[in-house]
Amino acid sequence: MVIDLDKCTGCQACTTACKAENNVPHGSPEEQQLRREIHWNKVIAVTNGKYPRVRTELIPMPCMHCDHTPCVTVCPAKATYRRDDGIIVQDFRRCIGCKYCIVACPYGARSFNVKEQEEKKYHRHDPPPDRKAWGPWPFPSRTHGVVEKCTFCFHRIDQGVKEGKQIGKDVVPACVEDCPANARTFGDLDDAKSDVSRLLSSRGWIRLREELATKPKVYYLPG
Amino acid sequence: MNRRTFLKVSVVTGAAIGAGQMIGQPNALSALPVQKKSPAAEEKWVATSCLNCPACCAIRVKTANERAIRITGNPLSLTSEGKICPRAHIGLQVLYDPGRIYSPLKRTNREKGKGSDPKWTPLSWDQALGEMNQRLKSLRESDQPHKLLLFSGLNTASSRDMIDRFAGAFGTPNLVSENGLDAETEKSGNWMADGHYGDTAYDLDHTNYILAFGADLLESSRPLSRFLRKWGKLRREKPNRTKVVVINPRYSLTAAKSDEWVPIHPGTDAALAMAIAHVILSENLHDAAYVNSRTAGFDAYKRLVLGQYNPEAVSKVTGIPPESIKRIAREYAQTKPAIALRGKESIAWPGGSYASYAIFCLNALVGSIDVPGGIVYQEKPEFKDMPRWVEDAVAGRGKNQTPLDLHGTNQFPLAEVVTNRIPESLLEGVPYPTEMAIGFNSNFNMSAPGAERWDRALKKLPYYVHISPFISEMALNADLVLPSTTYLEEWGYDHSPAGAGFAEVKLKQPVVASQGGARSITDIIFDLSKRLQGTVAQSFLNIGDHSEGFVKFRTETLMPWKEWVGKGVWRGKAYEYKKEKRIFNTPSKKFEFYSGNLKAILTKKGNRAKGDLDFLPHYQGVKFLGEKEKYPFILLPYKPLMAMENGSQNYPWAQEIFLPMQGIGWDTLVEMNSETAGNLKLRDGSAVWVESPFQKIKARLKCSEGIHPQVVAIACGQGHYAYGQWQKGLGVNPNDVIGVDYDDLSGQAVFFNTRVKVNKG
Repeated sequence: MVIDLDKCTGCQACTTACKAENNVPHGSPEEQQLRREIHWNKVIAVTNGKYPRVRTELIPMPCMHCDHTPCVTVCPAKATYRRDDGIIVQDFRRCIGCKYCIVACPYGARSFNVKEQEEKKYHRHDPPPDRKAWGPWPFPSRTHGVVEKCTFCFHRIDQGVKEGKQIGKDVVPACVEDCPANARTFGDLDDAKSDVSRLLSSRGWIRLREELATKPKVYYLPG
Repeated sequence: MNRRTFLKVSVVTGAAIGAGQMIGQPNALSALPVQKKSPAAEEKWVATSCLNCPACCAIRVKTANERAIRITGNPLSLTSEGKICPRAHIGLQVLYDPGRIYSPLKRTNREKGKGSDPKWTPLSWDQALGEMNQRLKSLRESDQPHKLLLFSGLNTASSRDMIDRFAGAFGTPNLVSENGLDAETEKSGNWMADGHYGDTAYDLDHTNYILAFGADLLESSRPLSRFLRKWGKLRREKPNRTKVVVINPRYSLTAAKSDEWVPIHPGTDAALAMAIAHVILSENLHDAAYVNSRTAGFDAYKRLVLGQYNPEAVSKVTGIPPESIKRIAREYAQTKPAIALRGKESIAWPGGSYASYAIFCLNALVGSIDVPGGIVYQEKPEFKDMPRWVEDAVAGRGKNQTPLDLHGTNQFPLAEVVTNRIPESLLEGVPYPTEMAIGFNSNFNMSAPGAERWDRALKKLPYYVHISPFISEMALNADLVLPSTTYLEEWGYDHSPAGAGFAEVKLKQPVVASQGGARSITDIIFDLSKRLQGTVAQSFLNIGDHSEGFVKFRTETLMPWKEWVGKGVWRGKAYEYKKEKRIFNTPSKKFEFYSGNLKAILTKKGNRAKGDLDFLPHYQGVKFLGEKEKYPFILLPYKPLMAMENGSQNYPWAQEIFLPMQGIGWDTLVEMNSETAGNLKLRDGSAVWVESPFQKIKARLKCSEGIHPQVVAIACGQGHYAYGQWQKGLGVNPNDVIGVDYDDLSGQAVFFNTRVKVNKG
């Protein structure tokens, strides 16, 4: 994925689109204070400088889907793993909730779910807790006590591949589709003709915390 | 049965109905991996439109088993190229808001006011509308239809058409929209120059330079999704990247994303605009061909600009170095096409009409009027006309009464609506006492400056009916509350607000069945009109009879119904530039630097106009509420992107990311310059009191580098106290401490001229 920070407006449509698409539980004032909110994607602000020479960068942060993944390395249960296409996923059934991966992730991309799907207090829009009615919803049942993270919307990608669609053009993750500024581009980094490769060869790019040699697959194009 | 148990019962009934519908469904086969033994959900996409702000973008909503689960843009809409802003996604939580009401509720506790429990009891629709009807009828029978006051908050165009018609047929001149709290000065500034009393549209596809005076393009502009989409285009999807300069005392999100932030002394934008004109004119950088052939009053304007607004003098007023003013002016004039736009922060001031006029004139100076990349003139869609309503003698007399908000009177000569004037009219009973009011999705006692006056005024109303999907702060003062549907359950149509230039109409259709017993505003008005009989009933005959019929009737000129329901978007023809011969509604039929329109009206009203200066754009100086010695700071409220505009904030997705620049949600912060706060020995994160001459509020302090040292900024949108686990008691509402003032010409409520002091909490 390539995120153009010059086009990005910091509007957070990626965040809300992700919440809706993946049925990510929302937080509460108390959870925000405890830093327990679940976000698969979040826009963070980094401010430098002194008045009036001040500069704030707004950086959208999905999971970086690193090639050298600290989270996979530390997981004792093999619950998080790298798929053949490079997406790092989390198997909720294997996860034992030890949170090693949360500590290991240098990007804060992982969250621990302390909530039950059925918890009435957390009234959400998702189909009712009547398992019969859920259908092909990507994450109908959420178990509490597991770690969650961005999946690059692999349910969309898998479905697209099955239908023979072009990934990166016809099928993209929800945050890419719903970015109003078209700041995000998704595709195959190994394919030199893909939009992402073309963008990366057209401008200078950065990856976050390059010094850790995690080789993230989310690239940023600065302004 | 109290309200809580009643709600519980209605929820249970609703669930039972839902389950019944699910059982009846066939087990459709699906290629998707489904869970064991689960019948595939029946999924479909419905084209409709949003209503979380007045832009009403076209959306598509995915439903599974009759539940809305996902919202995305409609690619057929070109206003925002099929994109939507983050607020649109929150529609799901608007629809399934746990605090919604599903039955008419009647107040049993006669005592009104903050903190007193209304003790609601449920009523049937028939009883509720019957009760309303009785009151309405007696008003007409006693020849006092003008004593009915209607409030209109955020409503679809179709509901607005119905409400207008109801006011007309009933015979009341008192229909008060929320526009007076928004940006009426933008409209009046336009009108002085080109005769269009409306919002401005910009051709963002082709512009190469944007000078934004106090305009939060990426937060609160309209239509927001268009600005968000075009931002990507302006920056990287055209050969030359558009430069954006933001002039604002606060380092807004827009300023953070722009190329240059110019902090300015609050309220001095008009002076800066005139100084920019000074540089352009004295260096001969203006578009002489355009100015000579298409404008009038240039000489008087030039004399004024060159005589009074040299950059050195203006620098002292605005706090911007003269070199910066000169550089920006040169860049602006030499990078074509360029636009100068204004937002609330620069023009919602006393004298804001002139500030708005001054900034708008910069566009004409560089010839950016009705050309690619300049100002464009929004075209209107071709709905089918409604027959004129039937007006009897009672209605005729009522309509001729002085309106309660005094718009169009000598006090507010240009105004179409003076929303924030209503509390005084109600409290003082002038020009006449009001007997009854109906609020349609309005929530003015949160969104208007001097919020507390609204509470007192609503308390004094003999009978108030509030119509909205939830018990908002205004509803707390109601005698009767009617539950209306949200926009995802109703029929309607909307046309684009000024923005794209070309006309666009969006359909609203029910995505899911109406939840509980809620009814749409259109249906409520149809029902009321029938009960009122006589000419009111006649006025609503032959226009469709119910909400779906009404939409069918109004939009049958656009496209066949079946296609319309499938597409959800109708687009007019491509925009046509250079209509200079037809667009100006001014005496000279040209763009006027010396406003003939204003001269005509002020002369007619007598005694207001004193001299030529009154008809020219100029800077009036700033009048503040509160003395500088006692109240050293200027309070600057602002609207962050995630502040919803429907009168509620009970939406966790919006709450948890409420202030992205500060990285917090669920709360309000008092933002102050770090150095100023340090001088006052106030610590970042500590609680502080913000006190104006009128009220004080307490919130956490945020020391910031991105704010003018004399300014205290507080985000609007929080401080709700009426209902909802996800909003009640969170944050504060800056409108509580803001004083009441107006732009005298347009009746615009002033938001930024209140002085405050900040103390340890």
